[in-house]
Amino acid sequence: MTMPRTWLPCLLLLTLISQSGLAFAHKASDSFIYLDTNERELRIDVALRDLALLVPLDQDGDLQITGREVRSQREAITRTVERALELSAESGICSLQGLQWGLSRHSDGRYAAARYRISCPGGAGAEQLRYSLLFDRDSLHRGLVEITSDTGSSLAVLSPDRNQLALATETSGPLATFIMFLREGVIHLLIGLDHILFLLVLVLPVSLMGKESESDTVKARMFGLAGIVTAFTVAHSITLALAALDLVTLPIAWVETIIALSIAVAALNVAWPVLGKKTWKLAFAFGLVHGFGFASVLGDLTSGVSDMAVALAGFNLGVELGQLGLLVLGFPLLYLLSQWRLYQRALVPGILLAVAGTSLFWAAERAASI
Amino acid sequence: MTCSVNTKGNRVHLAQCPACFLPALRGRAFWIGLGLAGLLLSPHLLQAAPSPIESDFRDDTVLATLPEAIPISNQEPDTATGLADRIQQLIGEARGTGDPRFFGYAERLFQQWPESRMDDRLLVLRATLFQSLHRFEQARKDLATVLKRTRNREHRVQARLTLANLEIVQGHYMEAKKQCQALARDYPGLIAGSCHAQVAARTGQARAAYQRLQTSLAEVDRPDVTSRLWAEGTLGDIAAQLGRAEAEQHWRRVLAASPSDLYTRTMLADWHLQRGNHNKVLALTDGYDQVDSLAVIRSIAMIRSDHPERNTLTRQLRERFSEARWRGVLLHQRDYARFLLDVEARAEQALKYARENWASQREPLDSRLLLRAARAAGDTKTLARLEQWLKQHGQTDARYPEVSS
Repeated sequence: MTMPRTWLPCLLLLTLISQSGLAFAHKASDSFIYLDTNERELRIDVALRDLALLVPLDQDGDLQITGREVRSQREAITRTVERALELSAESGICSLQGLQWGLSRHSDGRYAAARYRISCPGGAGAEQLRYSLLFDRDSLHRGLVEITSDTGSSLAVLSPDRNQLALATETSGPLATFIMFLREGVIHLLIGLDHILFLLVLVLPVSLMGKESESDTVKARMFGLAGIVTAFTVAHSITLALAALDLVTLPIAWVETIIALSIAVAALNVAWPVLGKKTWKLAFAFGLVHGFGFASVLGDLTSGVSDMAVALAGFNLGVELGQLGLLVLGFPLLYLLSQWRLYQRALVPGILLAVAGTSLFWAAERAASI
Repeated sequence: MTCSVNTKGNRVHLAQCPACFLPALRGRAFWIGLGLAGLLLSPHLLQAAPSPIESDFRDDTVLATLPEAIPISNQEPDTATGLADRIQQLIGEARGTGDPRFFGYAERLFQQWPESRMDDRLLVLRATLFQSLHRFEQARKDLATVLKRTRNREHRVQARLTLANLEIVQGHYMEAKKQCQALARDYPGLIAGSCHAQVAARTGQARAAYQRLQTSLAEVDRPDVTSRLWAEGTLGDIAAQLGRAEAEQHWRRVLAASPSDLYTRTMLADWHLQRGNHNKVLALTDGYDQVDSLAVIRSIAMIRSDHPERNTLTRQLRERFSEARWRGVLLHQRDYARFLLDVEARAEQALKYARENWASQREPLDSRLLLRAARAAGDTKTLARLEQWLKQHGQTDARYPEVSS
């Protein structure tokens, strides 16, 4: 082979190692900026590893950074970081007064950390954050920002292409998150046939009750039903929170199977009340299981959402609103149908049979995939 | 299913008991539940607070260790050759340590360099960088430019090989085959042979490809190191695909010559993990906790063998992935998906990342991960699509024998 050996073999070896994309096998370079708009404080953590590019930290050249070396370069570190950080208000550039200085720790090691009090001209609150540390050295460096205010907290990322951040005024962040998840909750209920069937099964027995007194009106029954679906919501809120916060995780295939079985059981319970007629208790117990099912959906939506509490509250409330909405529309219809003679004798058994059949089929299908 | 329901319950007369309109608002169990939910939802528990700032650290503690190649100077080289040398070194460093900072330094140097002064070697290097950053389209564009305009055989060979590699990783076997054929014309030998073998193995002819490449390797008289390692690595991959124990020896030979080859180390560690050789996994991954692919495999092995340090590593990985999610785009999805599936047992989420990963990378380990995640999550549609794709290429693999067609 007469291949010139100037640089090719070396580069060939590079390609060899790149047979797969192991690109981000390692944590990339991030700084962490915590901004508290209530307390008017800012904290910034920069990896020592990254600072060594900008400040001569390794003075003895032994490739190790010691406590002494960091301490002796404290001024240079502070100056470098402060130059790369700018907070401003309409009235002008805000000043930073050091409150604390030292070291902190993140997933990939030690960081230099400093905490500041922010004061803007005229006592205004800071409206904009600009960050530019390391962007001229490492195109993959990012500033990870967490903004805390009295309405909650939100996350943001600063990059070479986008190195400024408007500091959200109170109304945006959490409210937008809440509304988004409220909508997701409603949508999830409406497109999830599981939950609609389950709701139907819970509602049917109430529509079957004979008229016993004058006060037993549609309105009264609707309130009773609202209680049942609320019990369901409270229960799934609990398990959903447990799952979303990683406190309890169950294998989803099992959960889905049990959900399907629970619908079948609930349907059969209407005809043969083996589990009793206290529907709200049933709804609560089944709600606990269904919450784990919601968790798998929510998990896909919450990546990158900082305000899990707001997101969860929105989602749960959305599911509840969806249920109540269906109830308001659907129950009067069932009530009207129940005046029809064949309702109790043919239609309800038919519905129950169909629901039980469908959910048993699902259960079998889901169990097969375990 | 257990539930504490009173089977003798009477029907409640709603009108007589206004408080029972919302029956769920009664009972101790409810209030306990509500209290629990409230506690869980309190923001303090949700957002992990940053670690405290310590001011009284000792002078003699070593706080960080720097890599040797850290580019202290910000001086841009002024010749194309100088720049290419620097960038090649940075990419090599990123590959050997798994640290993406070096890719960032390299990209920054490219951004400062005028497009009009990009020569062929720089274009090949930039394509290699783009490929590493999973910007496959940009990589293809640079390689196409080189292949169209260069008169230099070296550059053409390098561009072809990089392109062939990229197409194989993405599962475009027809295109890859074309590049391998062109490569064989320009640069016949073990490397072109490995290129062909890799494509053949992924398209239903693994056994024959292995045989042929092994024969070529034996026949070549004193091959250069690069070619020999390239062939050994490929033989290892194909042997693993065939489920043959020789995979280990092939990969070991590559690792002996090039211990910083993280790709081969990952393949071998994965191989041992699948065979339940947890001690071998722990030995191979020792000291590589910063490399996600190896750290995830290590943590799975630790959990499966009840290792006393399993929780420490798992916690560390969880923190690292949560920072990566905050960062957003820069996430190695294969490792995260595997972590979610095998460590966290969150199949649905694992499936999401495995699916996104598979959209751009279709190596056997990517396909196996998607198969396992889809099966765990009960997603029959994804399973069917994946099996259809494997069948279409006639791809079988001993690491996922259940879909052998």
